[in-house]
Amino acid sequence: MTEVLARRTFRGLSTAEAIDSVHNELDKLWEDAPFVQAMDQMTFTTAVVESASNIVQHAHPAAARPVELGVDISVRTTQLQARVSAYHAKPPFGPLEPGTADDDAESGRGLALIEALVTTVTFERQDGTNTWVLTRTSQS
Amino acid sequence: MEFSYEVKDSYAEVKADGRLNMVSAPKLREFVTDVIAGGSSRIVVNLENTAFMDSSGLGALIGCLKAARQAGGDLRIAAVQPQVKMVLELTSMDRVLTSYASADEAFGND
Repeated sequence: MTEVLARRTFRGLSTAEAIDSVHNELDKLWEDAPFVQAMDQMTFTTAVVESASNIVQHAHPAAARPVELGVDISVRTTQLQARVSAYHAKPPFGPLEPGTADDDAESGRGLALIEALVTTVTFERQDGTNTWVLTRTSQS
Repeated sequence: MEFSYEVKDSYAEVKADGRLNMVSAPKLREFVTDVIAGGSSRIVVNLENTAFMDSSGLGALIGCLKAARQAGGDLRIAAVQPQVKMVLELTSMDRVLTSYASADEAFGND
């Protein structure tokens, strides 16, 4: 594995406001890593924000502690990777596979969109934490 | 995200400036609903200054489209930027949300 050239992290309560914070960290990341092509920046930002939003909208606390959102994004020469985690959360309820939404549906496109934006998506469940690992093979 | 609107001759132009995400999507829907309630059912959402949209934002636009059609009108989008265009294409919703180069062109021929 090649060295990490740039990295940004976020951890905080899983609230709507956290989404803007994650997005701001991504903007700063691209300032730190201007060599990443604009298309890769755009697609990866969209995937990470979409995943973080999915946690804020759907992750439920496993016990009394509230769910926390964690995002760890790293840039390597040929790979972008984000670990998007829901801490203190129940295992996801419902299918982890993307469905197909009707044309007039107002939700249900998030997972399919994420899969279209990145090279691989994997899910890990460990110690009360759900983690989505997004990787995109960079063109840089 | 900031919203504003202006009633033109044959439509109302809604400007949405900022990130159209899960935070702002409900606000867009509320804003457009109010514009429709005010008597304008032909809506153009000008996305010139919307640099980012996620699936929540897309859902809000679809909700606004349905609301406009239920009121006897339509909703069209204009000045779509690259990231928004990408999301529309990847979800195939560019077939449903008609995009125009400018707000003036959106209802130009009806």
